[in-house]
Amino acid sequence: MKIILDGKKVEVDGEKTILEICRGQNIKIPTLCYHKNLFPEARCRLCLVELDGKLVTACSTKVKENSKIITSSKRILKARRRNMELMNPGADIGGLSDDFEAREIYEQVGLGNVRFKSIKNYLSELGAALVRDNNKCINCGRCVQVCEKIQAISAIDFASRAHDEHVTPYNEKHLSEIACIKCGQCLINCPVGAISERSHLKEVVKALNNPRKHVVAQTAPSIRAALGELFDMEPGTLVTGKMVTALRKCGFDKVFDVDLGADITIMEESAELLKRIEKGGPFPMITTCCPAWILMMEHFYPKLIPNMSTCKSPHEMLGMLIKTYYAEKAGIKPKDIVVVSVMPCVAKKFESTRPELNTEVDYVLTTRELGRLIKQKKIDFVNLEEQDFDPTLGIASGAGDIFGNAGGVMEAALRTGYEVATGKRLKKVEFDNLRDFAGIKTGSVKLGGKTIKYACANGGANIRKLLESKDKYHFIEMMVCPGGCVGGGGQPIYFDEDVLKLRSKALYEQDSKKELRRSHENPIVKEIYKKYLGKPLSKKAEKLLHTKYQRRERF
Amino acid sequence: MQILRETKLEGLRLAKKIGRAKVLEVLSKKGLVGRGGAGFPIAKKWETSLGVKAKERYVICNADEGEPGTFKDKFILKNNPETMIEGLLIAAYVLKAKRCFIYLRGEYDYLREELEEKISEILKKSKMKISIEIVRGAGAYICGEETAILQSIMGNRGNAMYKPPHPTVEGLWGKPTVINNVETLTCVPQALVYDDWNPDYRLFSISGDVCHPGVYEWELGVKMSTILDTVKPNGKLKAMAFGCFGGIMPVNKNLSVSQNTICKEGCQHGAFSIIFIGEKHNIVDICLSIAKFYTYESCGKCTPCREGTIRLVNLLKKIKSKKADKSDIKLLKEFAEHIQETSLCGLGRSCGNHILTSLKHFKKDYMGYLK
Repeated sequence: MKIILDGKKVEVDGEKTILEICRGQNIKIPTLCYHKNLFPEARCRLCLVELDGKLVTACSTKVKENSKIITSSKRILKARRRNMELMNPGADIGGLSDDFEAREIYEQVGLGNVRFKSIKNYLSELGAALVRDNNKCINCGRCVQVCEKIQAISAIDFASRAHDEHVTPYNEKHLSEIACIKCGQCLINCPVGAISERSHLKEVVKALNNPRKHVVAQTAPSIRAALGELFDMEPGTLVTGKMVTALRKCGFDKVFDVDLGADITIMEESAELLKRIEKGGPFPMITTCCPAWILMMEHFYPKLIPNMSTCKSPHEMLGMLIKTYYAEKAGIKPKDIVVVSVMPCVAKKFESTRPELNTEVDYVLTTRELGRLIKQKKIDFVNLEEQDFDPTLGIASGAGDIFGNAGGVMEAALRTGYEVATGKRLKKVEFDNLRDFAGIKTGSVKLGGKTIKYACANGGANIRKLLESKDKYHFIEMMVCPGGCVGGGGQPIYFDEDVLKLRSKALYEQDSKKELRRSHENPIVKEIYKKYLGKPLSKKAEKLLHTKYQRRERF
Repeated sequence: MQILRETKLEGLRLAKKIGRAKVLEVLSKKGLVGRGGAGFPIAKKWETSLGVKAKERYVICNADEGEPGTFKDKFILKNNPETMIEGLLIAAYVLKAKRCFIYLRGEYDYLREELEEKISEILKKSKMKISIEIVRGAGAYICGEETAILQSIMGNRGNAMYKPPHPTVEGLWGKPTVINNVETLTCVPQALVYDDWNPDYRLFSISGDVCHPGVYEWELGVKMSTILDTVKPNGKLKAMAFGCFGGIMPVNKNLSVSQNTICKEGCQHGAFSIIFIGEKHNIVDICLSIAKFYTYESCGKCTPCREGTIRLVNLLKKIKSKKADKSDIKLLKEFAEHIQETSLCGLGRSCGNHILTSLKHFKKDYMGYLK
C-alpha cells in the first residue's frame, strides 16, 4: 500500500497503525498511553497527526491507499501542547523526576505557560509495598490494562466519570486491603510515577549513618543485569563488580550475594522434590521464590497450599543465615546487624512484613532505589573499579545466577536434582527448552526410572493458563512478572521487551562463564551444611529456611 | 401523525415475501435515513453489515435517548411500540440475526414492563425464533453513543471506543452489530407497507419558553413561523438551542428548518429537538448549565474531554462572576475548539458547540459580563 508520509511516497503495510509506520520510519511521535504490548485505547491524545486534513490519533488509526499523512505542523504541535497542558503531569509536585517516561515526552511536546490550576485532590495511599498518588495520574489506563490482561489480576480499574475519573481498587479500598499481588507491573508501566514503591531508602541511609550498626547488603541475581541502565549503560551490561564497589562506597559493611541464597534454595527445594517423588506426592510441587506468586496463590488458589514448596525465598534464606550463621562466625550480635536486600521486586517489600517468616531482612531496596542511593552519594558508577563479594557468603554457582530469568529456578533445580538423584554427572547443564522467551515452557526428565514432567510460567495470565493443566506436571516454577525477575516491578523502567531479552541473556552469559555451575558443588553451600545446617531438610534447616502459607480472601 | 401509523406485522410479512435484497432496495428507494442525528441511509448500513462474513450478527435498538430536550423516542415507545418491535424483527430477518437488544434509557424503566409484554406478544404472533432482550442503561448520557452502548451491553464500563472498526463490522463480542434508533426502526415497516410514506417527516421535540411543549411531526423545510404559531411562544423569544450538543442560534421566523439551513448557522440539527429560550435569559447562564451537563456526562476516557470540559465550566463561572476579561473569552474559544478537534467520540466532538455558536451569535451577552 502506498501512502504519502510528510510529502514523501512510502510503501507501507496496510495492517499497521500510523504510529507503527512512523516509528518504522524513525519519525518521533510522542505518546503516553500507548504501550507496545497493550491495546491502544487512544486516551492521552498526544500522538495526533493529520490524516487527509483531519486530526487523528496515530496509535489507533490505520491508513488507506494514498492517504496523506503529516506528522508535524503548527496545528499538530499546538494541539499536542494543549493536551499536555490539560494533563499537566507533575503539576502538584513541581515537575517530574527523570525516572519516568513522561519526562522525555514532556520535553518533546513542550509546554508553554500552564493556564489552568490543577483541580485534583486525592488522598495518596501508603502500603507496605506500593504507594499510590492519584494526583499525579494522567488516566492513561496502562496500569489497568496490564493488571487485567497481562497479570490477570484486575485489582484496579477506573471509577467515576469525567474529571473525577480515577484509577482505584473497588470501593475506593486500599491496595493492601484487596486481592492485589503487589507485583508492581502497574508501576513499571506508569509513565508518570502515580504508582511507586514504598521507599525504604530513608531508613537504610539512617542505618548506614549509625556507626553501631553492622549493615549488610545482599543483592538479587537480576540486579546486576539491569542496574547499569540507570546510569545510561547499554541494557544487558553486567555490572556485578561495579555494583559491589558502589555498595561498599555507600557505606555497607559487607556485600553478600543472594545467588548463594538461591543455591541453598535449590538444595532445599530439590531435596523436597526428591522426597515427594519417593513419597508419591503431593504433585505438582510449585516453587515459592516469587513473593507475588505466593500472594496470588493465597488469594486466588488457596487449595494449592499443600502443593507449594515450603522453602522461603532466596533472600529470606540468606538473610536468616546472615543473622545466625554469619553472626556466629563473625562474632557480631544479630541485633546489631542490619540486613538490606536489593531486589528487582516490590512484592519482596510486602514479603518482609509477613509475620510467619520471622524475617531477618530489615529493609528491601528496589534496583531503582539503589540507583537513587548511588546517585545521591555522587558516585561515578560507570567508571568504578570492579570488586568481589565478601567471600563469607559471597560465592555463588551459575545455577544461582540464572534465578533472575523465567525458567532459571527450574533449570538450577534440575541440575542439582538430577545429579543428586541419579549420581550421574550432566554432560550438558543448559536446558535449552527452558531458555526461550515464552510465557509457558514445559519438558520432562528421567529421574531414577521415573519421568518427571516440569513446567514454567511467567506473567499472571500465563500462570492462570498453566494452572488449568497443572495435574499433568510434577514440578512447576511460577514467576509473576513477564520474563521473570529481569522484568520485575522493582527494575529500571523499560519500554521495550528487547531490554528484558538482553538482561536475560546477560545472566545466562554469567552462568556460562563460571566453572562452578551446580548449586550442590558450591564450597560455601557445602561448608554451611557441614558446619551449621547438617543436611537439606534437617530439623535446623526446616526451622530456619522453611515457612508456611495462609488462605487470603479475594474480597 | 405518520409515525403513529400501525402496520400490524404487515411489514414483516411483506419483507419475508419479497426477500432480503428487495427490502434493502425498497428502503433505499424510499430514502429512509437514520433519525439519530447523523442521517446515514439505513439500507447502506445494513448492507455493510451483511457484507461482513460472520457466524452471528446482532441488532440493537438504541432507546437511550439522553439528549436534553429530546423525548420523541419516549413518545414512540409509549404510543406505537408494536411498530418499533416489528421494525426490529425486520432488521433481524434481513441481517440474519438471532439476538436483538433494546438498550433502554435507565430513566425510562417505567416503560419496560409494558414493552416486555408487547415483545412476547409480537414474537408469538410472528413465530420467529429470535430473542429480544431489554438492557437497561444506568443513566449515563455517553451510553447513547454507539460504541459505548456496545461496551455497556457487554458488561464493561460505558466508555466510547474509536472507530473504525465500526460496530457494523465489529460490534458486540467482535461480531457485526447494527444499531438503529427507535424512530428509524419504527419507520422501517411503515416505509415498506405504505406507498404514501414520506421520508421527510421528522419528529420534533419542542420545549422551553413555549405554551405548548411536546412532540410534533413536520416535514423538513417547515417554516419557523409555522412552528411558532403551533407551540405559542411564552413571551418574546431570543434564541433556540438544538438539545445540548447542537448549538444555540437566534430565532428567525423566516428560517425553513432543515439540516442545511441549521448547519449554515454553525449548529447541528441532531434529532430535531428545539429548546426555545426567552428574552429574560442570559445566554452565558444557558451555556454554563450546558457546560455543567458535559462535565458531568463526559466518560473521562480521553484527555481533552475529561480535563477540558471542567475547564470550560470554570471559565464560564469566572465570566459569570464578572471576574473575566477579554483574554478569558479567547481562552474559552480556543479550548472549545481544541476539545472538539481532538476528542475521541461524538460527545467530545460536540461539547463545545454551544459555546462556539453562542460566541458567534450572542457575543453581547458575554461582553456584558466582563469586568
